[in-house]
Amino acid sequence: MTPAVTFEPRVSAALADFLLSMADDEFVIGFSDSEWTGIAPILEEDVAMSSLAQDELGHARALYELLADLRADGHDADALAYDREPEAYRHARLLDHGRGDWATTIARRFLYDTADAARLASVGEGWPPLADLVAKIRREERYHVMHVTLWAERLANGGGEARSRFLDALEALAPDAGSVLASPDGESALIGAGILTRPMADAASAWRADVAAILGPLGITLNLANTEARPARAEHGEAFRWLWGEFTSVRRSEPGATW
Amino acid sequence: MTDPLALDPILAPTDPGARPWNDDLPHDERFELFESHVLAGGKIEPNDWMPDEYRTAVLRFVEMHANSELMGVLPEREWIMRAPTLRRKLALTAKVQDEVGHAQLLYRVAEDLGKPREAMFDDLLAGKTKFHNVFHYPTKTWADIGIIAWLVDAAAIVAQQALRDSSYGPYARTMQKICWEESVHIMHGRDVVVTLMTGTDTQRAMVQEALDRWWGPLMQMHGPRSDRTKDRDLHWRIKAKTSEELRQEFLTIYVPRILELGLVIPDRELAFDEATGEWRYADPDWAELRTVVTNHGPMSEERLEFRRLNRAATAWVRDAILSEPRSAA
Repeated sequence: MTPAVTFEPRVSAALADFLLSMADDEFVIGFSDSEWTGIAPILEEDVAMSSLAQDELGHARALYELLADLRADGHDADALAYDREPEAYRHARLLDHGRGDWATTIARRFLYDTADAARLASVGEGWPPLADLVAKIRREERYHVMHVTLWAERLANGGGEARSRFLDALEALAPDAGSVLASPDGESALIGAGILTRPMADAASAWRADVAAILGPLGITLNLANTEARPARAEHGEAFRWLWGEFTSVRRSEPGATW
Repeated sequence: MTDPLALDPILAPTDPGARPWNDDLPHDERFELFESHVLAGGKIEPNDWMPDEYRTAVLRFVEMHANSELMGVLPEREWIMRAPTLRRKLALTAKVQDEVGHAQLLYRVAEDLGKPREAMFDDLLAGKTKFHNVFHYPTKTWADIGIIAWLVDAAAIVAQQALRDSSYGPYARTMQKICWEESVHIMHGRDVVVTLMTGTDTQRAMVQEALDRWWGPLMQMHGPRSDRTKDRDLHWRIKAKTSEELRQEFLTIYVPRILELGLVIPDRELAFDEATGEWRYADPDWAELRTVVTNHGPMSEERLEFRRLNRAATAWVRDAILSEPRSAA
């Protein structure tokens, strides 16, 4: 696929950063979810979680492919996904935690899926290849939100241990949740080109309202104020360094080989 | 939405008298009617009356198959994280997902025979029931992922294809779906192996080293030769072929395919004997098979302990969702 529109450099640069951050988000959450393949709490959910992981990885691949087309520098989607140093990944801080227990997994998915939905709803028609892909991704993500919302309700209504684990996980992740919707560099350029239809700050407001509408009836209030103690998409911690070491291990064992 | 009442039932309505072993007759008469139905190629359904021996044998067979799918997930899932490309990671996740799905389907078949799923997990984790020998071994390199999906699944599918005609109806139907998915796994595995064999010297050496380790367990997988006339699973047509028939079939199909890739099979005695029409091979290490399937294999205890810990760590989730909701949800 070739980009049908030629952008001025500052728009291209902002678009490349935006694509990379979305792709890395889907890539990393896909890894966390696939860690449950084979060991989820019940077999039926195991199968479901693997499907979610495959959806996210499929989205990551499609986004990396768009980015590879945009950059046209000879790096394919695999090179983009695998051949960077850990510091060069741009996933949101929310996803920078280890897999954790089932409550952490559901809390992370809940916060991410709802925020991602608000982000996807902010993508306009400015670059048709991205608009087309986002339309496809939104059709799938709709089911992810339904799935995770059901789980959030079951855990919140599940009594003692389930509720307290879920609340603890939400509290632990809440300070980082806003990182998904942190304003990207060159946001005004993206809005000017019609690639985004609104600032991420507006998307974040809509997301907070969405979250409150689901958690409120469950008797949960969550402070999702966007604290920027650390950068939203850099300075990844130990959990990601471990993950990176794992997912690049085979590839690094024979650099340049075909797998 | 499709009106369920407008669909033809999968099972024809029971014609009174057509399944006479279900009638209230003396035990021996029922047994005879049941047995002649099975021996004539008839199918048995979960709501049929069945002799205790048959119910127990089907349950034992299906439960071990389900256990094997569940435990077989562990050696491969370790490599989902390490898959070296996006395509391989997607394929391996989907493949392991299929195995979990097979475990689910098979445990459901077994549940209908009267044993609850939790009881089957209890027995598996306590070492009271078994799982296949090949899942007691470690996976050491990425090449193992190719060899398992290609050859272990191939050896399994040889056995599983013969189960599509099992006398127990739900098992036979489940095996149709499973065989279809397993055949996709074999293509995935072969693709991984071919890619490595057409790659660098290191990659080729990795495949040969993996084949050297897996060949013994593969040859043991179907079990020692047995006497057809004494095998009750064959009598009841739960399965259709002896262990030696399955091993011969596997060798006939896969030896040429393995050699064609330039791999060396680590058995100097392996040869097709034109006179007998059978493969000759070095006697598999049956002592190793007995050791391994009684949970004394290289990874048996570690994998069972991993499952025990995981089951304990996720018990709170099952408690929360399988019990009644505490408030209106």
